[in-house]
This record gives sequence, C-alpha cells and structure tokens, in this order.
Amino acid sequence: MKISCIIVEDLQVAANYLMKCCEKSGQVESKGHFVNVPDALYFLNENTVDLIFLDVEMPGASGFELLDQIAFSPKVILTTSKKDYAYNAFQYNVSDYLMKPFTYQRFLESLQKIKPSQETISTRSGSDHIYIKADGKLVRLNNDSILYIESMGDYVKFVTTDNKKYITHNTIKNLEEKVSKHHFLKVHRSFIVNLHKIDDMRENILYIKGNEIPVSKANKADVFKRLNIV
Amino acid sequence: MNPDVTNKSFIFNEKIDVQCINDLYGNDYIYLEEVFGTVLGEYGTLVENIFQQYASHNIPGLKAAVHKIKPIFGFVGLLSMQHQCQQFEDNCQPSSPFDMLVNNYNALRHNLIASKLLIEEEKRKLELFNSQ
Repeated sequence: MKISCIIVEDLQVAANYLMKCCEKSGQVESKGHFVNVPDALYFLNENTVDLIFLDVEMPGASGFELLDQIAFSPKVILTTSKKDYAYNAFQYNVSDYLMKPFTYQRFLESLQKIKPSQETISTRSGSDHIYIKADGKLVRLNNDSILYIESMGDYVKFVTTDNKKYITHNTIKNLEEKVSKHHFLKVHRSFIVNLHKIDDMRENILYIKGNEIPVSKANKADVFKRLNIV
Repeated sequence: MNPDVTNKSFIFNEKIDVQCINDLYGNDYIYLEEVFGTVLGEYGTLVENIFQQYASHNIPGLKAAVHKIKPIFGFVGLLSMQHQCQQFEDNCQPSSPFDMLVNNYNALRHNLIASKLLIEEEKRKLELFNSQ
C-alpha cells in the first residue's frame, strides 16, 4: 500500500520536484500540494494522510503552526533550506528533514526512516497493554489501568487508576501512535485520555476521576465522534 | 531524474555546477528545461520581494525574502548564488545598522539580475537542445 502524503510548500519548483520524486518512487501518493498553512489545514480538517512534506518558512503561518493545529499525527518530513530547526524538529517528532534541493537518493533514504515505525504502529496498537521505562525498569501498564497521559516537555506522565504516576521520557505525539486506538484518544496537544474512563464533559473540559483534562478546539470533533452519545 | 536519457553534448554555462545538475536530474534534459522554466516563472516575484523589503529597510523581511529565493539557485546549479544568499542572510541581523548591508546588497542585487539572464539563456539553450 502506498504512503499517502501532502506537500506544503510555497516554492513551485521545489513542490514539483518533490511530486516527481514521489511519483518515481512508486511508494508515495501525493493527495495535494498547498502553498500555505491555512489551505493545508482546511484539507486536513476533512482528510487524513500518512505523511506531510512540510516547508517551514512560508508567508503567514509557519509549518510548525500547522502541526500545532491538526487533530492527528502524521509522519512529517521537513523540506527546508535552513539547518537550525533541530530543536523544533525534535519537539514535533519530525521524522527527517530534507535540505533543498536534495537528490532522489536522499529522498529515498528519508522514506526509509518513516517505514519501520509505521510497521511498529500496526503491530502494537492492538495490544491490551504497554510497557514503559520508569524508575529504572520496564513497567507493564494494562490499557484499563491508565486514566490519561500528560505531556511534560520531553517527558510524559502516566496517571493510573490506583492513583500512581509514572514519568517517562517520551512525547504525546509518539505515544499517540503506539497506544491502542480503541482505548485512547489525543484530546489536546498535551493529553491522551482513556476513553473508557471519562466521567463527564463540560464545555471543553473532560473529567476523569476528579482530574480536569482540556479538550482543544482542533480535537473536539474527534472526541464527540468517539464518545458513545445517544 | 531519468538516468536512461543520455546525451552528453549539452554544455552548461561555466557558472552552473554540472555535478549538482547531474546529481539532481541525471541526464533528463527535458525535465531540466521544465525546471528552468518553473524557476523563471517565480523568479520575478521572489526578486521583487527582496527589492521591496530593502526599500522599506525591513531587515527581518529582507532576510526572509533572501532565504526564500535561496534554494531556487540550488535547483539550477547556481551554487555560488546560493552561497551568496546564505552569506547575506547571515549578515541580516536586526541589531545591525542598515547601512552595513548596503555594499553586500548592491552586490547581491547585481547578481540576482545577472542570474536571471543566465537562467533565461540556459533555458533557451535547453529548448534548442531538446528540440534537436
């Protein structure tokens, strides 16, 4: 199956070259090319893709602002002509970045970087538990025992039904792909919740065993879709 | 992009890095002609933005405008221009007096105009080459 992607790039020659690389690889299918963040966001509100080729510096909003606003977590490959995005790239869990112009060979290497983790997602996401590294050991957490996961910068906090808190080095973006889609949903840039543990919801706040979890505007529609509202 | 298309008789302007062109496109001169055409299509707007930002003494805007055009030169093998853009960007510090940029800007402006003529000429040569 081909990897679906969009290209967000305001330089036409770069976008065309990227499309040609996608076509030539036979591995990637471009679903669209957008020259600015609002147009890409409009598309992504209605569609999902596996991968975004993303320019950073565009007129108006930057590429990172797009990542802040989308409700799901596709793989991201930055296409840039600046080397100093390493910190942001790490924060946003970017898979790779391509310095323009890049060779076709370099493009293929970049695709290789996103493939292994895609396979990992499919095999892990159906599991009834996860293991996390905490307190110098691997701790097994059953899905049913997790209330929610909260971002703490480069770390995340797992809060469990027995009121324990486990802090581990990871990101919400990475975890979103690894936890069971049946149990968990990202409701905010900083929160993944166990859908089976929600007590109630008022305005943009979810209540889970006395904990208040904010729901972002971008994720609200997904939350409503997943709640069993009758 | 298509290494099967072979014709080694095309002679590029000496300012164009042939190795860079080969790395990006192989011997696909049809596509290369398209690339030069696309670059020319957006060149005017990008250069005009640089001129406007300079005229309004907007250093961050000028830096962003030069940054935006920079990769274009890589796509057509004008690596010295790409390098000059990078150097100019590095000099565009908001804290620096605007006057410090004048000499570098004039040199950049001159080369931006000359590069357009060069790209146009190469495009014409490629058209002719591909039509033979």
